Amino acid sequence: MVPLSWYLGLSALLFTIGAMGVFIKRNTITIFLCIELMLNGVNLTLVALSGFFGDVSGQLFVFMVIAVAAAEAAVGLAIIISIFRNRESLNVDDADTLKL
Amino acid sequence: MIQMMAILLQAQSRPPAAQSDAPIFGYIPIIIFFLIAVLLPVVLLGVSRLLHRRVFEREKLMPYECGIDPIGDARERFSVRFYIVAMLFLVFDVEVVFLFPWAVIYDKLALFGLVEMLIFIGILVVGYYYAWRKGALEWA
Amino acid sequence: MQPGQLAIDFHAILPEIITVLAAVLIMMIDAFTRRINRRVAGAVALVGLAGAAAAVVSLWGGKVESSFSGMIVTDDFRLFFAMIFIIVTFLIVLISLRWVEDEELPTGEYFMLLMFATTGMLLMSAANDLVMIFLGLETTSIATYVLCGYRRRDLRSNESAVKYFILGSFSTAFLLYGIAFIYGASYDPNLSPVATTNLQLLKERLASDQLFSGPMLLAGAAMMLVGFGFKVATAPFHIWSPDVYEGAPTPVTAFLSTGSKAAAFASFSRVFILTFFAAAPVASGMTDSAVSALREVSTNALMVMAILTMTIGNLVAIVQNNVKRMLAYSSIAHAGYALVGMVAGDWRAVAFYLLSYVVINIGAFAVIEVIARRGDKRTEIADYSGIGFQTLGLAAALSLFLLSLAGIPLTAGFMAKLLVFKSAWAAGFHVLVVIGVINSAISWYYYLRVIVAMFFREPATGFQRPVLARSLVAGLVLAILGTLYLGILPGRVLDALEKASDIMTTAARR
Repeated sequence: MVPLSWYLGLSALLFTIGAMGVFIKRNTITIFLCIELMLNGVNLTLVALSGFFGDVSGQLFVFMVIAVAAAEAAVGLAIIISIFRNRESLNVDDADTLKL
Repeated sequence: MIQMMAILLQAQSRPPAAQSDAPIFGYIPIIIFFLIAVLLPVVLLGVSRLLHRRVFEREKLMPYECGIDPIGDARERFSVRFYIVAMLFLVFDVEVVFLFPWAVIYDKLALFGLVEMLIFIGILVVGYYYAWRKGALEWA
Repeated sequence: MQPGQLAIDFHAILPEIITVLAAVLIMMIDAFTRRINRRVAGAVALVGLAGAAAAVVSLWGGKVESSFSGMIVTDDFRLFFAMIFIIVTFLIVLISLRWVEDEELPTGEYFMLLMFATTGMLLMSAANDLVMIFLGLETTSIATYVLCGYRRRDLRSNESAVKYFILGSFSTAFLLYGIAFIYGASYDPNLSPVATTNLQLLKERLASDQLFSGPMLLAGAAMMLVGFGFKVATAPFHIWSPDVYEGAPTPVTAFLSTGSKAAAFASFSRVFILTFFAAAPVASGMTDSAVSALREVSTNALMVMAILTMTIGNLVAIVQNNVKRMLAYSSIAHAGYALVGMVAGDWRAVAFYLLSYVVINIGAFAVIEVIARRGDKRTEIADYSGIGFQTLGLAAALSLFLLSLAGIPLTAGFMAKLLVFKSAWAAGFHVLVVIGVINSAISWYYYLRVIVAMFFREPATGFQRPVLARSLVAGLVLAILGTLYLGILPGRVLDALEKASDIMTTAARR
């Protein structure tokens, strides 16, 4: 079997790539995808631990995370569309109406 | 090819204890599958490239849209209605995930589980009805 | 597993059931009649909240019980916070009953989302499992993302929603990763279940120092600290909140800065004070275990966060010219004061602090909402010049709330700060208390600046005396009474808090 640490390393990598993406990317949708990548990194950790421990509760938690992420995605896309309709741009650097 | 399939089947039918000699051994079927997946299109495209006669005409370079002449640009902006439908689909689609664990132990939860699941689906139906009445499902 | 083993007790989640039913009822009336009357929607919401409050009272009684396989816990900690959330939403419904019609926004959805957010907050205080905390948090967050962008045609509102959404889900990811690590750290093959997210079991495992991995526990706690730090807007994770608070419609800002913040503090305290700190008593003698390291490290981290939060919040608030933005920084500073109570490990002081803060802050935002007028147009401090004598009642009320936020004696703000600083002093965090007191002195400057503008400046042009709705007046009067009551006669509330039970007190009694 593949040792647990490999899974944990991979999920940490996914999480970090996602987090870096949030800082580096300028398109709102891309940033949102990076956040989803972070969530999936967490899901991988939970599933790996759950499988390693032989305990299903971690996998059930992943169900919850998936369902909540879907709800969040629906709301998030709606919000992104509403700002796009008013501004015609998805670049976060343009969203500066509220700066100091 | 047949040999490969045989290896695949053998690897699958092997008891799990035998797989733990090397860390990666359990993934050999997946590696084989991956290799086939890469090789197949390369071989097929390569063969057809070697055999076919190259003709460039207007008809041939046109994007293929089920045999009908394409209308407009493919990079057209989609109507926002598609997004609304997609969002509704996303939510209702993923909520089904909760039906799987329930279905697995349905016989153990018996009536209690059924009632709980009816309540859950009832809440989804309320949401669906709301979206319907608010006109989210209307196209025009 | 038989249903009987799940410990299903619908009485234990009655407040949540009632608020959900009220929300669904508003939704259904809205769908049936095509457009719900704002009075009907408001009335359903208020009745639902009153019912939830009654359910909370019926659960009261100093016991500690867990139900739903340990997902939900009923103790006075939960019930006290539940009361805070119900008060918040009650006041918000009152102050926005007229507003939502004046702004021509969809009425039903507004109250429905408020009720769903309240349900999420109630679940956050009732949660005894990290999964439940996550679900409650997300229920609240998703509803409030929508509320932030509720003024769909307004660019500021859109922007506020996008920023809140992105940074909110970013912080959720951190919180989740922390939960995953803590789940991993709790693994013990000799126990059943082998790994857990249940806070009570987690505490027992931590206390016995039987852990799968100490570093994993510390990493998990650090990640959760970041996640909760974002949610309560503590420095250095506060950057989102001024933008979001300024752009969101004013009643929603009031809700965000009180309700969601208090709910995040409820879970924060439940996880850190009642689980992590409770597992490692100061004089336990386990000096080099992972648990005592956890306590030491997270206390230090919380202390640094508290100092940064108070100082940054107050210093940046001074230079703000927009009243909503100023109050956003002020609310960051107040999160810092509440964190002082958390460092001391005293959830009672935190709870009293939040109770006082929500009452005062909603009052202040109610006045700002009226003065801002339609579309939040007048929110600069210049717009407040000289309005003091043109609309004396409103200006006096705003002055009371601002002075109370600054901490003038005989009001709730003073009592709250006193309690927090007292418990931090008693726990030996003297430096923290001194910094806190200096910070509240600084905060006088920017609160007084608004009051001076209102009473001692030349009147601003174009100010019209606002027409006050009855519901808004009722909300304001309740907020004023609450501010004075908690400041002058806090005895009964403090008594109730003193007797309040939690997992720690019952462990001590045993």
